[in-house]
Amino acid sequence: MSYNCIRTIALATVFGALSASVATAGPVCKSDVRILAQPRDALTMLEEQKADFKTLSGVDFEIDYLNEGDRRAKSQADASTTGRYNVYYVDEANLALFASSGWLVPLLDHYPAEFDFDDFDDGRKTTATYDGKIWFAPIQGGGDIMVYRKDLLEAAGIKPPTTLDELRAAVPKLTDPAKGVYGIALRGKRGSGDNVWRWMPYFKAEGGQWFDNGKPAFDSQAAVDATNIYLDLFKYSSPGTQTGSWDEATGAFLSGQVAIIIESAPLAAITIDPAKSSVTDKVAFLPPPSPMPGGGFAHGFAIGAKGNPDKEARDCAGLFVAWATSKEVEMKRLEAGDVGEVNRKSIVESALFSEKYGTALPEALAATAPKTAVNFWQNAHWPELGNKWGILLEELITGQRTDVKGALDELDEFAKQFASD
Amino acid sequence: MQQRQSLPYVFLVPTMAILVVLAFVPMFYAIGVSLENRTLSSPDSHFVGLKNYLLLFGDSRFVNALWVSVKWELITVSATMIAAIGLGVLMFEAAGPKLRNALSLIFLIPVLLPRVCAAFVWKFAFHPLYGIITYPYRLITGQPLDMLSSPTQALFAVAFVDLWQWGFFFAVIVLKLIEILPQQPLEAARLDYAKPWQIHVYITLPMLRVPLVSLMFVKMIESLRSFDLIYVMTRGGPGTSTETLDMYAFSQGFIEAGKISYASSMAVIMMVATVVIFTVVWKRLKS
Repeated sequence: MSYNCIRTIALATVFGALSASVATAGPVCKSDVRILAQPRDALTMLEEQKADFKTLSGVDFEIDYLNEGDRRAKSQADASTTGRYNVYYVDEANLALFASSGWLVPLLDHYPAEFDFDDFDDGRKTTATYDGKIWFAPIQGGGDIMVYRKDLLEAAGIKPPTTLDELRAAVPKLTDPAKGVYGIALRGKRGSGDNVWRWMPYFKAEGGQWFDNGKPAFDSQAAVDATNIYLDLFKYSSPGTQTGSWDEATGAFLSGQVAIIIESAPLAAITIDPAKSSVTDKVAFLPPPSPMPGGGFAHGFAIGAKGNPDKEARDCAGLFVAWATSKEVEMKRLEAGDVGEVNRKSIVESALFSEKYGTALPEALAATAPKTAVNFWQNAHWPELGNKWGILLEELITGQRTDVKGALDELDEFAKQFASD
Repeated sequence: MQQRQSLPYVFLVPTMAILVVLAFVPMFYAIGVSLENRTLSSPDSHFVGLKNYLLLFGDSRFVNALWVSVKWELITVSATMIAAIGLGVLMFEAAGPKLRNALSLIFLIPVLLPRVCAAFVWKFAFHPLYGIITYPYRLITGQPLDMLSSPTQALFAVAFVDLWQWGFFFAVIVLKLIEILPQQPLEAARLDYAKPWQIHVYITLPMLRVPLVSLMFVKMIESLRSFDLIYVMTRGGPGTSTETLDMYAFSQGFIEAGKISYASSMAVIMMVATVVIFTVVWKRLKS
């Protein structure tokens, strides 16, 4: 009997057992589940499996999509007011705000035990935790990875950089606008999850800390040095990234214009997907150059408090979250080649994973794990503070202002109102 | 007789009541919220008087947003009116009736496109490496042109898209207004050997003064509602160079801080300023 056949039978058995266990307890859901999310390949695939959820729960589900910034704004507005959605797509940056504001309910109180929450990657479970409780089940997560063009580095006689100094030396040499090649692609668009997110590893690499003995330390020498390094690298970042985000930075790399990019780990799998990348056979991976830590992140589904006023509704939302992030659904993602959105240990350790991706990508992803850290300030005020710095940083990147220390002093002054938190 | 006198009220009262509910309830609610310290993250709020308004005038970002809003209004309204009058007159003078109708149909297309779609299309058109708008510059200089990342050019780039949507539409309206004018004064001027530009400057446009002023007011109101266009194309950036008042209010209310009361105070100021300025301008132009 072939491996695929065994796997299919095993999955069917597990799924059947799960369905049976839920069915014996009676239908959990009485009305369709409404979800607010941002576009993800995993969710597109999830919509193709609606029939499975209907079998399990007796109801349908409907996902409304908005891009990241809009999704954050809309979910904040909805969760705090009308509560039209049962399930929110949340991320590491707004978890503290959502959890501390009472807009979510603790996930495990309504997460069916048979879906095995412990199977998720430990780092992502930690990111989903706030104030000692777990609030979401991950759909995507990880740290940072450096993806580089082997052909361009070889042609320039440059070794793949393993330190920040080597990176800073390599990037100018790799930039050749006449040939349409740029040394690096960074994010310039204002926002705690955009330019600030990519700036933070440089800040941490320079020894930066957000607070020093309870006092804001935003205008420290480390912050000034990190900002100067970021601005210096931006001279060689591909056009369009100065006010661009993930889409612009990764788009430039995937279309073959960029030699080195340090981005969130799911990019690695995208670069070797022929449907999305024009450089599939020219890329290699490494962890971010030392001493840069990777920006640990996780996005996932959480149960809304207002949208689910009673236990029954919360159990239903919990069932959806559990099903949408289950082993079976993740295995289908892996089968479809969506390795960037795999979060469970059992899937990463599966034979299929090794069969499909060999050893290079899994090894590279594993190598990023020890370097992954939570770089942002885990506090409900982080979005406000991060966005403030995002605007100032964008002004520095686009030349609207040139005084780095002055900008950081302004941020430091702004941060004083939050120091007591 | 009594029945005839009360009939207008029978029709007016329900519609006026709906209008009052729809317009005044949110307005007074916004004023009420602006006098509190309400935030999205806390269910509790207290009356704080005019504190939010006083804070606003010490907020440099608010002052910047106010200035950007004024610039946006001036640029988009003047550019649209100049383009509309110019194109309308040009079509009237240079095109025959059939061509005019065909052009009118084509000129209506941009305004029919949802503004968010237009914003995405034009955002790509302005891309420094792939954009069709930036292509000639790349071809001539060999350098990329990133207008949306330039603090001095970004507002003009977005205003260009607004002009593209509304300028052509207004040009069709101007053309139709010229077409329905009585022809005798124009014929008389031609008999006196008046040049085409003299006919339009001294006869046509003065005759169209009232509808053109009305058109300008429509555009002024429409320009105040350009949030979606700016949001998609620049999100207020780079920095805060295209951040208008409504966008800053939205950022403070929902994206960044959840300060609903602070955002409401901006909305109230915007409403009061709009009513005052529009009333003054309307009275001046009318007289």
